Amino acid sequence: MASEEEEEVLIEVEAVEAVYGEDCKIIQRFPPHIQLHIKPRTADDSSQQFVEAILELRAGSQYPKEPPHIGMIDSKGLDEVRQAHLITSIQEKVDELSSCLMLVALCEEAVHVLSHMNHPDGDCPLCLYPLVKEDVHGNSWPFMKLMSCYHCFHSKCIIKWWNWLQQQSESDSNISNATATSSSNLGSRRGLHGAVKNQRSCPVCRKVFQATDIEHVLSLVQTYTSELSLEETETDDDEELQHSELENSRRKEFDALLKLQEENNGLIEPKKIQVLLPGVFLPNPVTPPTVSTKVSAELQQSEQTSTTNTHTSETGPSRPYSKASTSSRNNFGQRKNKMRNPRTQNKQWAKKES
Amino acid sequence: MTSSSAPSRKALSKIACNRLQKELVEWQVNPPAGFKHKVTDNLQRWVIEVNGASGTLYANETYQLQVDFPEHYPMEAPQVIFIPPAPQHPHIYSNGHICLDILYDSWSPAMTVSSICISILSMLSSSTAKQRPADNDRYVKNCRNGRSPKETRWWFHDDKV
Repeated sequence: MASEEEEEVLIEVEAVEAVYGEDCKIIQRFPPHIQLHIKPRTADDSSQQFVEAILELRAGSQYPKEPPHIGMIDSKGLDEVRQAHLITSIQEKVDELSSCLMLVALCEEAVHVLSHMNHPDGDCPLCLYPLVKEDVHGNSWPFMKLMSCYHCFHSKCIIKWWNWLQQQSESDSNISNATATSSSNLGSRRGLHGAVKNQRSCPVCRKVFQATDIEHVLSLVQTYTSELSLEETETDDDEELQHSELENSRRKEFDALLKLQEENNGLIEPKKIQVLLPGVFLPNPVTPPTVSTKVSAELQQSEQTSTTNTHTSETGPSRPYSKASTSSRNNFGQRKNKMRNPRTQNKQWAKKES
Repeated sequence: MTSSSAPSRKALSKIACNRLQKELVEWQVNPPAGFKHKVTDNLQRWVIEVNGASGTLYANETYQLQVDFPEHYPMEAPQVIFIPPAPQHPHIYSNGHICLDILYDSWSPAMTVSSICISILSMLSSSTAKQRPADNDRYVKNCRNGRSPKETRWWFHDDKV
């Protein structure tokens, strides 16, 4: 009867092989030892794939009476917590199906659990802020993954890092050109750092990028670098400006309020009252200008002999209606008069009004 | 002494500031075991107390690490030294400089103060003899003018300790 059971197990292994095709590596048919490369079901588009794993299913000769051993050989995009979750879920399925043929079901379960984990998780390793986060405007920061390891970064973070490395290796090579004859020590050190300019390793796992990743990053660098660097300096400046402007205007506002309050004994009133305070003698288009200009002309004549003539001719009755120049001059003269001789001014003001 | 040598440093960039603030918060929530951050108002220099792990040569001993952050942290590695007296260790010089690759050539911006601390504690814990590096006197003499360990060209040859 043993052979019949063995037959069943062999058929099951064939079934797994049929379902998973190239993703399934049969190490041994009996007792079954299978390596399964699982990808999330939703990820036909590789840009939408953030996790994958290689699992090992290893059964003993007593399988299915004896449960198979489940292990993880490799994974991408899964931190320890999520790796553990995947294994635990499969283990639970093992317990649930104990003594049954379960390899196909276990594989299905694995893919199912992984599909639910197909999203980038955690923080950007470079800035330590969540990978998927929304700023105040509800925009999320674009992020990217390295295809060789599925480690994800904010695009702008990894681009900054990339540029930094390029810059460093440029200055490094300048130094080494300058000190070409110096010790080999420096040379070996740069060898560690990244002898090939276009080849870098992942900041998290040090896995060397594949060519596609480099192209991906480089194209990002080309399209975003100038934009990004500009943007950043601009926003920095803007922030400073905004800050100082805000601060200044806020201060002014409070100062003005305080002043107003002081002047009005704590009562704040509209500003126009201040503008029309008594004593500020504004040319009023309603009042006949002839009177006021005459007045000012008289006063000016009496006080300033040198400029009298021009003033009278300009402000005389022949050009009664205010032009910019005359009115400003009137104003000027009147203010002066007021300062020098407030009493006459008042008198004349009263006279004119009556 | 070299411990107090403050290399003429530029202020932290905005990115560095954000990142350090984030690290500090994470540290407060989940500090690495055996370490205590001595609170100051200086984000650019952290002083961290290290307690030797029990069952190791440094059990019940306390040392102080000084971590100085450069303008472009985390692109650039921080400068990490022990404030003398430094632990007696084959990779730690008496002036506090630490020969540890991740602090220099193998630095990666994905590393954090916390991960550095764990590496240093692991380095201490795996030590089998309390002794100074063979070239201690020569090295310390060379560093008398307060040179930063980041200016040293390190050879990393011993991955056992």
